[in-house]
Amino acid sequence: MTTVENIMNRRIITASPFDSVRKAAEMMNEFKVGCLPVIESGQLVGIITSRDIRCSHPNRLVIDAMSKDLITVTPSCSIWDAAEIVERYKIERLVVAEDGKLLGIVTKLELYHELGKHFDTLTGLNKAEYLYYITGKLIRNNIALSIVFIDLDGFGEVDKKYGHIIGDEVLYRVANIIKAHVDEKLDYPCRYAGDEFAVVTVRPASTVKEYALKIVNAIASYNWDGGMKITASAGVVNCQPAIKSDCDIREFVNIASLASTKAKKKGVPVFTVFCNKE
Amino acid sequence: MSTGEMSFSRPFEIGRKAEISIRLSEFEIPPIQDVLVVGKKAPIGPEAVKRMVDALSPEQYVVIRLEHDVFEAAVLKKSLLKFIPQDKLLPIILKECSAIATEDSVIKAQLNIVVQVNKVVDL
Repeated sequence: MTTVENIMNRRIITASPFDSVRKAAEMMNEFKVGCLPVIESGQLVGIITSRDIRCSHPNRLVIDAMSKDLITVTPSCSIWDAAEIVERYKIERLVVAEDGKLLGIVTKLELYHELGKHFDTLTGLNKAEYLYYITGKLIRNNIALSIVFIDLDGFGEVDKKYGHIIGDEVLYRVANIIKAHVDEKLDYPCRYAGDEFAVVTVRPASTVKEYALKIVNAIASYNWDGGMKITASAGVVNCQPAIKSDCDIREFVNIASLASTKAKKKGVPVFTVFCNKE
Repeated sequence: MSTGEMSFSRPFEIGRKAEISIRLSEFEIPPIQDVLVVGKKAPIGPEAVKRMVDALSPEQYVVIRLEHDVFEAAVLKKSLLKFIPQDKLLPIILKECSAIATEDSVIKAQLNIVVQVNKVVDL
């Protein structure tokens, strides 16, 4: 999973609490940065931003002008959590620190640039890595979840028979059908790969099979152009696991994927697996 | 005289003088007297003030950070607080300073506190 450690800038220009605001402003101009973390005895004690500088007399000490209520993240923070923090606190830069030690800085621009790599422009859905992120997050917060893994049936034939442009159009419309079934508070959809989609959901486990069936039926009953017949199979995995690592999360997603394959083999629209790794 | 050359009919002298006046006075220690009130955008902030008073007059002043529209901190001479408690003194000072100061100001104040005591004793 992509974390802020993967994208943070490690070469950081810092200020001392006892530098003047004037000196801090000069440093920011010279190095073309919008803020300076403030370090005292190796510890991060604050941050002085261009806004702090605009609001302070240049004769002041940095310690009297800096923002002391620091918003920091650890290097292992995911880029999605980091983006949420940036939006919540309306900040342009996120300081990466651990045990009071400054490790790096990530700007909002760098963060969104990286997030863009995990976004599928064809369907407007997040890519597979988001699935791992959200699954891990829910599990860490001890929230029961299910994964609905949706695989289009014989999609390779659509590409061969109608061409890839039409194939892409089908994928786009399937994504829209899935989005139409998403409750933002409960469901987290993504395009897993190719013609495979997944929805992580916190709906009650007993209702998820029915939810998956609704999506599969909506895909099959859609008025596809040129009399195309598009169907899908779904694998559902309900889980309240004691998952400890990313490896377990991947295994969990894999079980959902295999369940969709079983649905195809058994000729049923949805196949459900209960998974409890206690 | 050839064409193009300048000439002066009357030569003049160039003289430069400097006048120095010196005012000598004693540097007050501590320089802040009884009270210093620091505006939010003053050229000196609370931490700098604290360091200054700690260096010049150790343990004689208390720096109080304020939640106030105009002022960020006040420095009070500790000995004053034996006459009158901080919660009584500070509002009076801030009220008076607010009338004359802006966020950019640093106001120095000198206080004379007289405590009057009347006691009645049985004869």
